[in-house]
Amino acid sequence: MADVKQAPVLRLKDVAKTFVTPHGNVRAVEPVTLDIRQGEFISIIGPSGCGKSTLMNIVGGLIEDYEGSVEVDGIQVRGCHKEVGMVFQEESAFPWRTALNNVTFPMEAAGITKEERVQRAMELLHLVGLDGFENRFPAELSGGMRQRIAIARTLAFRPRILLMDEPFAALDEQTRLLLGDKVLQIQQELNQTTMLITHNIAEAVQLSDRVLIMSFRPGRIKRVVEIDLPHPRSSKMMGGERFGQLVAAIWEDLREEASKGLQELERVRG
Amino acid sequence: MARTMASTRLTLPPLLIRFLVIAGLVGLWEIASGSGWINAFTAPAPSSVWKGFEKIVAEGGLGEAMAITFATALMSAAIGAVFGIASGYILHIWKAAGEAYTSWLAALASAPLVLLYPLFLVIFGRNMWTIVAMGALGCTPPIALKAKEGLDGVKPVLLNVGRTFNLTPKQQFWMIMFPASLPSIFTGIRIGLLFAIINVVGVEFLVNVGGLGQLIANLGDRFDYPQMYAGIFFVILVSVAFFWITEKLEKWLLSNT
Amino acid sequence: MAAVEYIGRKTAFWTVGRLRIAGVIAALAVWELAGLSGLFFNDVLPSAFRILRAMGQLLVSREFYEHLGVTVFEVLTSFVLGAVTGTAAGLALGISRRAGDIFEPFIHYLAPTPKIVFLPILLVLFGVGMGSKIALGSISCFFPMALNIAAGVREVSPTLLRVGRTFSLTRSQTIRMIYLPALIPAVATGLRIGLAVSIVGCLLSEYKLARAGMGFLAGQYGDKFAIAHMLAVLIFIFILASLGNAVIARFVRLPGPGDRGSVRLAFDK
Repeated sequence: MADVKQAPVLRLKDVAKTFVTPHGNVRAVEPVTLDIRQGEFISIIGPSGCGKSTLMNIVGGLIEDYEGSVEVDGIQVRGCHKEVGMVFQEESAFPWRTALNNVTFPMEAAGITKEERVQRAMELLHLVGLDGFENRFPAELSGGMRQRIAIARTLAFRPRILLMDEPFAALDEQTRLLLGDKVLQIQQELNQTTMLITHNIAEAVQLSDRVLIMSFRPGRIKRVVEIDLPHPRSSKMMGGERFGQLVAAIWEDLREEASKGLQELERVRG
Repeated sequence: MARTMASTRLTLPPLLIRFLVIAGLVGLWEIASGSGWINAFTAPAPSSVWKGFEKIVAEGGLGEAMAITFATALMSAAIGAVFGIASGYILHIWKAAGEAYTSWLAALASAPLVLLYPLFLVIFGRNMWTIVAMGALGCTPPIALKAKEGLDGVKPVLLNVGRTFNLTPKQQFWMIMFPASLPSIFTGIRIGLLFAIINVVGVEFLVNVGGLGQLIANLGDRFDYPQMYAGIFFVILVSVAFFWITEKLEKWLLSNT
Repeated sequence: MAAVEYIGRKTAFWTVGRLRIAGVIAALAVWELAGLSGLFFNDVLPSAFRILRAMGQLLVSREFYEHLGVTVFEVLTSFVLGAVTGTAAGLALGISRRAGDIFEPFIHYLAPTPKIVFLPILLVLFGVGMGSKIALGSISCFFPMALNIAAGVREVSPTLLRVGRTFSLTRSQTIRMIYLPALIPAVATGLRIGLAVSIVGCLLSEYKLARAGMGFLAGQYGDKFAIAHMLAVLIFIFILASLGNAVIARFVRLPGPGDRGSVRLAFDK
């Protein structure tokens, strides 16, 4: 990509969040500052409860009340924004709509003509590899296919930034690897700026240009790891030596945080 | 030998066995009644019940009675649906009210409300409105409960999808909340319709006004047993058929969700 | 900038307790105002105070207890008969897959039919007295009981049964330690719905044709246009029904892990 050296598409400036609960304040995210370039693929990895989903919800606009600022193309945004699209961890395909009508959904809400939205939706279904399934309902499709519907639906708004919150968490390992390759291919094809939340280290290494390791609560960026594997990537690289080194390096940093998280969890449950 | 016989018997399809059981019972009854084992006047043989059926179809106004009963039940269910869905919606959006009143509503749904009919009889008089009111009273609580359950049960992630696409509150309701809770609302209406039919037929029978219930009550009062039995079996058959159809309809409508 | 978000209850004026009190007051006010409005015939909606007085009068009259005794006897007898036969049928249908396949549709589809239409036949068979009421009450109670037990048996988790097998439980141990605890919610639901429908069966037949019982009494007051007394009887009937419900809830502990909560309705799958 030639235009890598542009101004950042997404800029987080001292973004932080405290939840007030009846049991006192909980600092979920310590100030995070981050620039993401056009076409870049960023992963945020961290233990459960590190605030990575909170951070994602802030960028996606679902949480509007936070400290600091979020800028898209240099313009400060707050709340849901059409330049930022989100894919969720849970099943989110509308079960009462066919694959095609799931993808047309946001365009329908925005009042785009039927002809245009169907055409665009067919292109997107092709992009995610669901040709021929456009008239099927989600219940007739596999979990991986349903998640691809959700991705296509989010892309229907042509967001500048694609946020994915553990989109493969509910899938089995093999489906997850194949879907990772698919996401990479889409990201390359559209030069799509992407931010992924995951707790799968291999997945983060396979997909990302940069991996951000978050600490356990309160969440802050503990370290940034540049993934210097060559492009185009694919799941076939998993056996490589460099791949293994990167996974090991990230685990080194993550281990401590994960065990803190586990201890906290056991303390709360026990 | 006994084993082979057992296994042949076991391979008969359930539907055929069910049919054979019914045919056997009817045959047994015919023989018992014909040979005088049971009183042929109070328990007439199936053959004379069939003649009674032909008679009430031809001159007893069976078709008309059925039309009245169904029209009354549908009207009650429509009233119940309007009030039920509206109250379910209010209890869903007003959380404190939902917390305060949902358990009351559940108690009403399982309370024997039909026993209040003497009150409605003195309010509305001995006419169709008493019956409509009793039907509506019976089906409103279950419809309200199911509507609230459906709206409460809309997955938060679906609402978040709507928010990320900048849906207006109106779009959020009509494009996400409503279709998502439709299965539950439909179940509520189906159950409500059944409650309405049961109440309508029951009150028709008790106050001698209206359709099928009144028909049976009148035949009983006239000691016309073949026709009365025919009427009773007809009511049972019709409600079974109605239940079966709505059940299949629901399954078909919801097959994709 | 104070970036905070409140999780949990906001303090609002309409709390649950206040709403409930307001609900009761509003219902009473609607009743009283409707009675005073002149929209209905005189005395059709008597004031709550007159109903209370009528309830007091009933409570000190011997006649009332005779009718109450008749109804309680009918309901309890029909409830026991219906529950026992329903449980037996439900167990048979649930345990034998074959029997369930063949015969359960009968019960499933007959359950939501209006049983009251059988009353003319039952009057012929069992007479105008308690017999016909008990018969209708038991028939009504049988169906929900059988269906809930059969479904309960079938819903016992196969994993739990496999766990039982790995511990080499005997048949009686399997029934005692796995089936019975797992069936408690089904029994509770069946009993609750069964009691409600036996009350309906008994009282509706009393309304129709009887010489004694609460339904008969209410009908008599209605015919005499003694509405306050009629309503007093109806209120006692509902008190009786909720007492029965409370007793079941007390003895069959609710809600078990498999109980679908209070929203479970008679014909809801």
